[in-house]
Amino acid sequence: MSKKVLIVDDDPDVRLFNATVVEESGFTPIEAANGEEGLKIVKKDRPDLVILDVLMPKQSGIRLYRELKTDKALIGIPVIMLSGVAKRTFLRSQKALTEFGDKPVPEPENYLEKPVEPEELAREIKKLLG
Amino acid sequence: MEIKKLLFVTRFDNLRFDALQSLMDLKKAALNHVVFLNVIERDKVAMRRGKGYEKSTEIRLREKANIRFIDWAETLFEEGMEVGVYIVVGSFAGQVIQAAEKESVDLIVLSPEKKGRLEQLYSGSDITEIVHRSATPVLVYKYLAQKGPLAENPFEKPLLATNWSAASQRAIDYLKSLKTVIREVDVVHVASEKDLKETSAMGIQKTRKESRQKLDALCDELEDFGITAKPHVYIGGTVAEIDKAARECQSSMIIAGSPHKRLWKDRWGTSISKGLAEQSIFPILLIPPQEG
Repeated sequence: MSKKVLIVDDDPDVRLFNATVVEESGFTPIEAANGEEGLKIVKKDRPDLVILDVLMPKQSGIRLYRELKTDKALIGIPVIMLSGVAKRTFLRSQKALTEFGDKPVPEPENYLEKPVEPEELAREIKKLLG
Repeated sequence: MEIKKLLFVTRFDNLRFDALQSLMDLKKAALNHVVFLNVIERDKVAMRRGKGYEKSTEIRLREKANIRFIDWAETLFEEGMEVGVYIVVGSFAGQVIQAAEKESVDLIVLSPEKKGRLEQLYSGSDITEIVHRSATPVLVYKYLAQKGPLAENPFEKPLLATNWSAASQRAIDYLKSLKTVIREVDVVHVASEKDLKETSAMGIQKTRKESRQKLDALCDELEDFGITAKPHVYIGGTVAEIDKAARECQSSMIIAGSPHKRLWKDRWGTSISKGLAEQSIFPILLIPPQEG
């Protein structure tokens, strides 16, 4: 069975775009519309890779990323951040949360700013999933 | 009852980011989560004779809202806040109630009624409907004065408006010479709606990304020089958006390059400098290009 890629994004058009790239790359896409839904799926299906947006309803990608990288059972799942929010902001926000007492988290495996060309996304997915 | 999560409902004209910032004292209480909501009312994209549903208008309005929300969210994320967003098409009151329920917010913040008295007579007041149908407290936010907060030191927190012209470059050089009196600068580029290369969401995002990358490089250059700088992309009419940006950033003044006299005759050149000087409530520092 092919490896599973979880796409977490509130925009259905972006999910469709990402899912197409994942499928064309030979992997199986799974979709979630926000961070809260994403976390449930991660725990249930344990994907091999997560493509994660930042600004979403219910729970942001910043909080979900933190959950993924501080939970011993999930820490090994690589994450590609794919967002309109700048990488600098993402890193600063994680730093701010650490300063408020949360555990420090590593940088994501990759950070892509939207919009991204399909070839670039496919390349990064293949790089992480072999 | 604690206010941990608030829903900030905005149409971007009467309720801006500076209003939200004035509520940030609530963080001392329990506030740690802000959800933005922009409702694109149906009449803006509704079927029109011979046109049908205006999908491209919807995409543009969505992306414009998205660009503003990303900018606001970046500031809040960096402060350690949690942020969510909804951009939806539908009836105003219905969508506000729905988002408040989905997110279980503790407070709804919105601007005063948009509808006139006559319109309220036959279609009702949105605020009244929300208050009647929702169990969540509603704050109808009002600015005490039309003018923005003006600082004692106008050079303390300027807003630099750039369009990448030679005059803008000179404004940047001028700004650098003021390093000792500047605490922080917000750097803004306004892309006109005409500049949006395509009507697709990806095309609009691409325009934003290109502008943002240029702004990031400029901010890095200023930071290397010892000036704290923050980038912002706006879309719309240049003068109105620069003024809006200055209000949202709580700027102390606006700095902009003013084109060469020869170029002043060009349609856009004269109107922006003149428009800012005449219409904005902020002090304006216009930097002309080098002679010759």
